[in-house]
Amino acid sequence: MLDRATHPAIVLDNVHLTLGHGVSRVHILKGITLSIARGDAVGLVGPSGSGKSTLLMAMAGLERPDSGRIAIDGQDLGALNEDGLARFRGRRIGIVFQSFHLIPTMTALENVAVPLELGGASDAFDRAKAELDAVGLGHRLSHYPGQLSGGEQQRVALARALAPDPAIVVADEPTGNLDEGTGGQIVELLFKLKRERGATLVLVTHDLNLARKCDHMVRIRSGVLDLEPAEA
Amino acid sequence: MNALATAPSRIGLAFRFALRDFRGGLRGFGVFIACIAIGVAAITAVAAISRGLTDGIAREGRVILGSDAAFVTIQREATAAEKSWLAARGQVTPVAYIRAMARAEDGNSVLTEAKSVDLAWPMFGQAVLQPAMSISDALGPKDGIFGAAADQLLFTRLNLKPGDMITVGEARFQLRAELLSEPDKLAGGVGFGPRLLMSEAALRATGLLQPGSLVRWSYRVTLPGDPQEGEIAALIDGAKQAFPEAGWDVRSRMNASPQFARQIERFTQFLTLVGLTALLVGGVGVANAAQGFVDRKRPDLATLKSLGATGAFVFSLSLMEVLTLAFFGSVIGLAVGSAAPFALISLFGHLLPLPLTPSIYMSELVRGLAYGLLTALAFSSWPLGRAHDIPVSALFRDMVDRDGRWPRPAYIALTALAVAALVALAVAFAWDRRIALIYVASAAGAFLLLRGVGHLIMAGARRMPRPRSTEARLALGNIHRPGALTPAVTLSLGLGLTLLVALGLIDTNLRNALTATLPERAPSFFFIDIPNSETQRFDAFLKEKGGDVSIDRVPMMRGRVVAVKGVRAEDVRASDNVAWVLEGDRGITYSASVPTNSRVIRGEWWPEGYRGQPLVSMTRDIADGLGLALGDEITVNVLGRNITAKLASVRQVEWRSVGINFVMVFSPNTFAGAPHTHLATLSFADKGDARREAELARAVAIAWPAVSSVRVKDALQAASDLVAQLTTAMRGASAVALVSSILVLAGALAAGRAARIKDAVVLKTLGATRRQLFVAYLMEYGLLGAVTAVFGLVAGSLASYGIVTQVMRLPFAMSWSVALISLAVALVITVGLGLMGTWRILGQKPAPYLREL
Repeated sequence: MLDRATHPAIVLDNVHLTLGHGVSRVHILKGITLSIARGDAVGLVGPSGSGKSTLLMAMAGLERPDSGRIAIDGQDLGALNEDGLARFRGRRIGIVFQSFHLIPTMTALENVAVPLELGGASDAFDRAKAELDAVGLGHRLSHYPGQLSGGEQQRVALARALAPDPAIVVADEPTGNLDEGTGGQIVELLFKLKRERGATLVLVTHDLNLARKCDHMVRIRSGVLDLEPAEA
Repeated sequence: MNALATAPSRIGLAFRFALRDFRGGLRGFGVFIACIAIGVAAITAVAAISRGLTDGIAREGRVILGSDAAFVTIQREATAAEKSWLAARGQVTPVAYIRAMARAEDGNSVLTEAKSVDLAWPMFGQAVLQPAMSISDALGPKDGIFGAAADQLLFTRLNLKPGDMITVGEARFQLRAELLSEPDKLAGGVGFGPRLLMSEAALRATGLLQPGSLVRWSYRVTLPGDPQEGEIAALIDGAKQAFPEAGWDVRSRMNASPQFARQIERFTQFLTLVGLTALLVGGVGVANAAQGFVDRKRPDLATLKSLGATGAFVFSLSLMEVLTLAFFGSVIGLAVGSAAPFALISLFGHLLPLPLTPSIYMSELVRGLAYGLLTALAFSSWPLGRAHDIPVSALFRDMVDRDGRWPRPAYIALTALAVAALVALAVAFAWDRRIALIYVASAAGAFLLLRGVGHLIMAGARRMPRPRSTEARLALGNIHRPGALTPAVTLSLGLGLTLLVALGLIDTNLRNALTATLPERAPSFFFIDIPNSETQRFDAFLKEKGGDVSIDRVPMMRGRVVAVKGVRAEDVRASDNVAWVLEGDRGITYSASVPTNSRVIRGEWWPEGYRGQPLVSMTRDIADGLGLALGDEITVNVLGRNITAKLASVRQVEWRSVGINFVMVFSPNTFAGAPHTHLATLSFADKGDARREAELARAVAIAWPAVSSVRVKDALQAASDLVAQLTTAMRGASAVALVSSILVLAGALAAGRAARIKDAVVLKTLGATRRQLFVAYLMEYGLLGAVTAVFGLVAGSLASYGIVTQVMRLPFAMSWSVALISLAVALVITVGLGLMGTWRILGQKPAPYLREL
């Protein structure tokens, strides 16, 4: 158990989650209890189908647990309706996907501005530009995703995730679609930005080396946590 | 900020996002835009042409009427008092209309619609003669011989040229010119024969103006200066007060051709409904495109949700895109539709016998736009509503699959609301709301039924035992698998075919009724204007010349209904299908006994030698339509005298017998002593033949110059030609619906092409030959086309059966040629379109695709 935080950023208390219906119903998360302190980085590892992505989604408010409680930055997610969750996510949670998921018809600048615009920020584009500068893409503002390399696209996705200044950042295999060199750069950038912003990071990965860069590594196996301290 | 306060800014943001998304191009929306554009164009074109015609009639009222007001008397000239009253108020130009036989020197004759004018005619507009000459040169006497001008048709039928002589009644005429156009043609109504224009003096010289002969005098009054509508109305009111018994039919330039205006309105409604069908068929394409949009945009929409967008925001964003494109499609449709009357004038303006005044009508544009946007909303809200619940988790699991779940209740409600608004719009602007409602109900029924048929086909294919042939197995699989073409084909092509079959069968049955089935029982001739004093001699003449013939003869007068149950005719609220009885004059008769081809179903026929208050017997539909019960009174003006008769009986009439029958039959004492002529029919016992008919017509024309003979075959041909013209317009409109069907189908095929290529590549990798794939596709498309055709055939036949037997009250006969053509059309469209796309699929090399799989 992670118990060093007095004000944890993420709290999961006996979370159960099943997916599917009828015969295809699968019990994915089986009583997960977890507390992650503000500013910590946690690497979530486990074999395919162990439930790590589902756990990540539950933390991001994208899947609702069948039972148990999830609180992010002091907010009980169960108390929010779907729209409330969406707004909370826009303000407080940044998500980085393996496949980037940039919107192809928007420029890099517009992609980064989206969460800010959705949050009603009047200076959305100025802040988006600053975020792109921070990831070293200040010169690529008006490029569309199709005109950017994979690494550049993931950097735009990083800028987008961090633009609203979220309390937690969740990243699902952020280097999975990148070559080793580029992946390394992205990881460096991710950790640098996290440190600068003081955000809490939860990282799903198959790469144990990457997981070891985190403050803590959490193993999940068949929907159950198997905790061990980080070696780094 | 509460939700209400932030709503405008959210909508603004959604619109901004929608605009950004258009940068990706309009891929997948071509069919969507085309469907909306075609439907809106059809509706707008019909409205624009109809408004152009109605406005043309209104604007050209003075030209069409030939004056500011026209006072029409039937079977009598105006009295001296009436003439002088009118002459004191403006310039009066009398015009007379009468049917008359024109006989050439060689004895051949033809029925004409004769019209006498004074030499000041036309007061407005221009008559075009060829060779060009003045009216007085064309019609005035030269060397004691009157001149005449006639439609080209008369020259052709009698094989004459300008300068040749004809005889009408007892007068001889020199045909001096062809009458290419007359400005007041519409006011005269549609006739059977070609126009023959003569002077009033010449008409009097023909001897056709006998007491009771069926002449219609129109006293046209042109007020001095530029009279306002109020002055014309005052003139009409004054005339009615001064001569309450005149019984004249009064028209003003504001209302020059009410019957024609009604016909335009009625036809406009019909074509609008057909246009709506095109829009409805297009709606299927709209729904497919919207579903395709949601499928394609799933990752982007899920990404937006992961970044804080709500489900409602994602829906509004999608709706904005769809409505923006619908607006774009509507504008294209409005432009094309509005251009239609201009194109018609520039291409066929010189041929159009109608005063079409093309113009841009703001109200029609707004209505067309409303149809376009509401159709888009009605058909896209449901599939777009599913965007609300796109799970963001799909981004993690790479499970970007379609879901067929129902959208949230709010989106179902929005769909229902849009459908209701569409129905309200169609019904509110309909000329006959009852028909519009029946149409809406039938369309909705057909729509649901076709949806059901699609599901049934898929369920049937799923449950069928596995065929042994690989091709058949592939074909069956393609028919029922998720994302199959089945629903799109059955719905869009089914609707288009149903319309095509229904119109085709109505057309065939209508024409059959007019040409094929009737002549068996119909007489060969009608004879009009047989003098009352010479009926016995005329009968004897026909028997002598015609041989074994049967003759049916009745007295005939023209009368105009002026009041029903004491209410003035213009104030009577009659049902739409009988309103025509109150317009203009009707043929009436008297009879001591129940006319043949009819039977009394209510009340009793008057006794032999009845002497009391005038009695009348009416046909059932008219009595019911006017709300008349036995004992109610109806007032008819005949020969300038108002006659009030009591309804004594109601008859059921077999109209199609083409025998003599009248809406109103009076007791004989009603018209005792009134001058009138007779109408007779003649049937050959052995049905006759063209030669004997021609001989008889010729003999009658020579011996009885005042009697007009109408060959029933000619009259039916004329009616059939008219039907043909109308059905051409109907077919044109239904072709638009079919084009929409084809588009929807092409769109559905294009949308499924990627999946098909993937399947074909996998199958080829696994050893399928191109021939096997080709046969499988052929079977799939052929089966779908055939089932849809059968449904279209059944539904279209049922719809046309209802219309033909219930509305038109004609016998229904199935036309197998229409059935076969529809089947062929369905197969050609599905198999043709399907294989066109497949050809490319078959040629795909597996390797490049497999690398991406």
